[in-house]
Amino acid sequence: MSGAPGQELVRFDRVTLTFPGVNGRPAIEVIRQLDFRIETGEFVAIIGPSGCGKSTLLSLLAGYLPPSSGRVLFRGKPIAGPARERMMVFQQPALFPWLTTAGNVAYGLKLKANRGNGRNVQSTVDALLHLVQLDGFAHHYPSDLSGGMRQRLEIARALAVDPQVLLMDEPLAALDALTRRRMQGEVLHIWEKTRKTILFVTHDIDEAVIMADRVIVMAQRPTSILEIEEVRLPRPRRREDPELAGIVRRLSALLE
Amino acid sequence: MRPLVLRWPSFRLIERAALPRWALRLVGPLTVLLGWELGARFGLINTLLLPPPSAAFADLGVLISGGYLGKALYASLFRVVCGFALAVVVGALLGLAMARIRLVDDFFDPIVELLRPISPLALFPLAILWFGIGDGSKIFVIALAACFPVILNTFAGARSIDANLIRAARSLGASEFEIFKGIVLPASLPHIFTGIRLAWGISLIVIIAAEMVGATVGMGYMVLEAQQTFRTERVFAGIFVIGAIGFVTDLGFRRLRRWLLPWYRETQD
Repeated sequence: MSGAPGQELVRFDRVTLTFPGVNGRPAIEVIRQLDFRIETGEFVAIIGPSGCGKSTLLSLLAGYLPPSSGRVLFRGKPIAGPARERMMVFQQPALFPWLTTAGNVAYGLKLKANRGNGRNVQSTVDALLHLVQLDGFAHHYPSDLSGGMRQRLEIARALAVDPQVLLMDEPLAALDALTRRRMQGEVLHIWEKTRKTILFVTHDIDEAVIMADRVIVMAQRPTSILEIEEVRLPRPRRREDPELAGIVRRLSALLE
Repeated sequence: MRPLVLRWPSFRLIERAALPRWALRLVGPLTVLLGWELGARFGLINTLLLPPPSAAFADLGVLISGGYLGKALYASLFRVVCGFALAVVVGALLGLAMARIRLVDDFFDPIVELLRPISPLALFPLAILWFGIGDGSKIFVIALAACFPVILNTFAGARSIDANLIRAARSLGASEFEIFKGIVLPASLPHIFTGIRLAWGISLIVIIAAEMVGATVGMGYMVLEAQQTFRTERVFAGIFVIGAIGFVTDLGFRRLRRWLLPWYRETQD
């Protein structure tokens, strides 16, 4: 089970990541001495200037990269590699183009490792497509879908294997402004319905403050934490809320 | 999406003649045939060297009714299909293995690159010594010549897979075998298919040449024999048939791809 809300789910323990220098070029320190924790059920946003290593941080959590030193702990245990408890949602949706919408969602459920968990594939797929409002598109291919629909499909595919945390790497960055606003609402809706822990990387301060319980502000590379902002505003939040605007202004000033 | 086509007013008039696209596409070849026929009829060209198309078609009728064409066609197509099938199976497996396993790539890549520039026909005399004058030697050179485009395209396809697709599958819990079967293979299929189409074209080219060098039956042999007995109309009859086969089969391949890979969107074709 995912554990009770408030329990520690993720912990970065003095994590440093250095890419070795190739062909005599100097090594690049991407992340330096990073320390933070995320609790079960939290919606955490990470903001920072582009190229500050936010995506790399998610790769560490997904298990695609090991840290150079320090530990990345998930439920108290060091992360050894990719696992379905930690699902990534990529910026450019990495959907399987040869599978239909339903096929993409069902893919994870049909893998040997996930079979026999008592869940019916068809009804799970139907429920998830309904959750992300793609019912009626079950037999379409990803290439037939719009950008926002593809992003929602990717979320549904990740949710199919019942992860404990969703790692979202600037999932809305490629969308136009209007679709982006609508998708922010959709992601919050999905979060409220599923109560998954969400780690949401973005470079849009407004987006971070509107969506997250906590905003982690990163400094320029090598990544370290400038500030952690608890957003204690009631939901649903309104863009026009002066208190919200105040937080955004303060964080902007911090990043400049 | 429709390709952008410049529209001149006069062209629009022709398009408005309400001919379907396929009929419009017949206009070019038919014009050439008509000009050629008229040129021959009015004595503008030496019909001994360039007989009118009507004579070639008449001879085609003779070849068909005499059963000679059927025999030649069967012999050639049998060799082509065997050599081509071998090339596709070996080429696709080797291409996939080379793309995903470093050791296999290091072993086979130099061999492939050394053999590739050699004309398959340069090896044909050797093939006759090894496999005889019959089907074996032709199947060998076709398989050899046709496997390269399959290897190279499969390799390119399996190498160009978006790394995030594989990461996503791994996070979802896929085993290495499941990733190969469920991600690498389907993601490579469009490229493999391109390789297959090229391989088929090469097979058709190689078989005619090989049969002209050494064979006792087949389309290449038929055309060469007609040339040696100075029956130019038969030479052209053979050439028409070869061209028609290539045209029809490529159409078939495109249909097959649309049916097998309905998700694949080609940007240009």
